[in-house]
Amino acid sequence: MKKVLIQGLFSLLFFFAIWFALRQIDWMSKLNVEQTTKLTEEKLGNIIWDAYDRTDTEIKNEKINISLDSILTKICTSNHLDKSKIKIHLMQSSEINAYALPNNHLIINTGLIVAVENEAELCGVMCHEISHIEHNHVMNKLVKEIGLSFLISMTTGKGNSEATAKLMRLLSSTAYDRKLEKEADIQAVDYMIKANINPTPFADFLYRLSLNESSNVKYFNWISTHPDSKDRGKYIIEYCKNKFHRNKSILRIETWKEMKDCLNNK
Amino acid sequence: MSSVTLFEYEAGEHEVEKASNSYLMSLIALIAGLPFPIVNLIATLVFYFSNRNGTYFVRWHCTQALVSQFSLLCMNSVGFWWTVSIIFGPEILSSNYIAYIITIFLFNVIEFIATIYTAIQTRKGIHVEWWFYGNLTNLICKP
Repeated sequence: MKKVLIQGLFSLLFFFAIWFALRQIDWMSKLNVEQTTKLTEEKLGNIIWDAYDRTDTEIKNEKINISLDSILTKICTSNHLDKSKIKIHLMQSSEINAYALPNNHLIINTGLIVAVENEAELCGVMCHEISHIEHNHVMNKLVKEIGLSFLISMTTGKGNSEATAKLMRLLSSTAYDRKLEKEADIQAVDYMIKANINPTPFADFLYRLSLNESSNVKYFNWISTHPDSKDRGKYIIEYCKNKFHRNKSILRIETWKEMKDCLNNK
Repeated sequence: MSSVTLFEYEAGEHEVEKASNSYLMSLIALIAGLPFPIVNLIATLVFYFSNRNGTYFVRWHCTQALVSQFSLLCMNSVGFWWTVSIIFGPEILSSNYIAYIITIFLFNVIEFIATIYTAIQTRKGIHVEWWFYGNLTNLICKP
C-alpha cells in the first residue's frame, strides 16, 4: 500500500513538474498568439467603428478636434504612451459618455464635454479610457462577456448586423468589473499627475454626477455604468493626496470656452 | 514505466486474447475519447464489467487498463473544460493553458504507446505491470 501511495505521489509530482517547467516558456510569443490577437482586435475595431460611423454623427469641427488632440498629445507625451495608435472620435450625442472600442478607438460624446465644468474633468475621463486601452481591458471584457468564438466569427465575416449592434451596446453601456475600473482610475490619476493636471476635479466630477444620477439617469451613462461613483471619488482623492504639486492647463481658457460654447450651441 | 514479471500461472490462449483486447478497447476509447474524455472511462468500464467474471489473468489486465484511464480522465477533463471556457467563456488564452495542453498531450502519447506495447505483450502471454498502476491493480484485483 505504501509503495502505491509513494508511486502515486511521485506520478502526480512528475505531472506538475512537467507542467511547471513548460509554463516557464512564453508560448504566447513563440506561437505568435499575441500577433494573431492583435489582428483580430484590429478587424473587430474596424467593424465596430464602421457601424458607429454609419449610425452616429461624428463631429468634424477643426477647432474642437485640435483641442481634443492637444489634450491627448499632452497626456501621451507626459506618460510616454504611443499617441499615434489612439484614434479619438467626437460623436454628436447628448448622453454623458466616453468609451473605448477595440483597436484603440476612443469615443467621446459631445454630452460629456457639455457636462464637464473644466478641462481637468474632461482630462480625467479621457485618462480613464486611455488606461482601459493601455491595459487591454476592452478585448478582455469582450472575451469575458461574449466569448472568443463569437468575436472570431465576427472578424471572419460571419457576424450579422444584430451581432454588431450587440457589441456596440456592450461597449458603450456596460461597465468593466470593479477591479478593472479601479485599476483604470488609479492609472488615470497617475497619467494626470505626470501631465501636471490636477486629479481632484476628476473626483469632483464623479461625485457630482453620482448626486444627479437619480434625476437624470438616462443622460448620465458614463456614471451609471460605472458603479460606486462616490467610493471612486473618495479613493481617487485619497490616492492623489500629497502626490500632485502643480496644475498647468493644456488649453488656453479662451480655447476651452470656445469649445464649450460651440458644443452648447449644437 | 512498465516491467515484465511472471504471473501466478501461465495463461491460456483464450485468456491472453481477452486480456489483450482490454488494452485495445482502452486504446480505441482513448482515440474516441480525446474530444470527450468521459468516453474513455465508460468504454473501459463496460469492458471491465463484461469480463469481471473472467479468469484472474483477464480480470487483472482489465483492471490495469481501467485504473490507468482514471488519471487520464482527470487530466483530459480539465483540459477539455479549460478549452471550452476559452472558446465560449471568460477564460483567456495564456502560456499557462498552452503548457497544460502540451503536458496532457505528452501523457496521452506515453499512455498510447504503453497501451499498444502492453496489448502486444499480453497477446503473447507476457505479463506486463505498469509503474504505479500495476501495484494498484495488485491491491484491487485478487485471485
